Amino acid sequence: MTHEDAHAWGRRLLRAWAILAALTGLSVGAALMSGSGSRAGLFSVVVALAASFIKARQVLNHFLDLRRAGGSWRTLFTAVLLVILGLCLVLYLAAVFRSPSGL
Amino acid sequence: MNEQADDWGILSQLPGNPLMWVLILSEMLVFGALFVAFAVMRLLHPAMFLAGQASLDVALGGLNTLVLVTSGYLAARAVQVRTVAGSRASLPWLGGAMTLGACFLAIKASEYADKAAHGLGIETNGFYTLFYLMTGFHALHVVMGIIVLGIVGWKNSVENLETGAAFWHMVDLIWLILFPLVYLLR
Repeated sequence: MTHEDAHAWGRRLLRAWAILAALTGLSVGAALMSGSGSRAGLFSVVVALAASFIKARQVLNHFLDLRRAGGSWRTLFTAVLLVILGLCLVLYLAAVFRSPSGL
Repeated sequence: MNEQADDWGILSQLPGNPLMWVLILSEMLVFGALFVAFAVMRLLHPAMFLAGQASLDVALGGLNTLVLVTSGYLAARAVQVRTVAGSRASLPWLGGAMTLGACFLAIKASEYADKAAHGLGIETNGFYTLFYLMTGFHALHVVMGIIVLGIVGWKNSVENLETGAAFWHMVDLIWLILFPLVYLLR
């Protein structure tokens, strides 16, 4: 590994950490500024789940270096994430629409 | 080395020890089932979950998320530095990752102590049962992760370090889904 390669590796990890920290701040900020079960609450929920998906992909691709593996492995882990987060979103929406004080 | 890697079949495409990836996928599925169970319970008991989630400190949870992702970054840098510069250079990065892991546990313990002071325990209701089960199970993984990082810091080969750091990133990954689901989806 050349010095440039090592330097680029370090920069890539730092960039991934910065994205993780920024998205954490964004999702916490959106949650603190919105109410629960309201349209604003729904917006913060979508932000939180989207941020969670992007953050999980950052950890997989850069910290765990999954980007070095074949495309089928990345697709598998992306699919697992989408199923878990998608089910959480669908069940959240079902709870909001079921509630008399929902949207 | 190549011959050994070929023995893992399709798993040999994955970086680090392939068995760690089997564990990572298994843990994602186990925690995924817990997350869906939490969301189903929330659907069935919205008032109980809303009240329970309102008692959680979002800022403290966010702080713990920052602590854990920073710890993950330090563990990744430990692998990078070990690969490039040798074993001793990686130890400060690994020590930093372990220290932040301990900070995560300290913040979690203070959160549990606050809940206990308000009489909120695992048997209070279904929300707190799942809250303590999920966060407690995750915290046990953090404890195990700190121990694993200590072991690979001692037996400091590149492969050991990659494998130990992979376990740590898996713990990080689980929290990145657990935190929004339990603390933010209200």
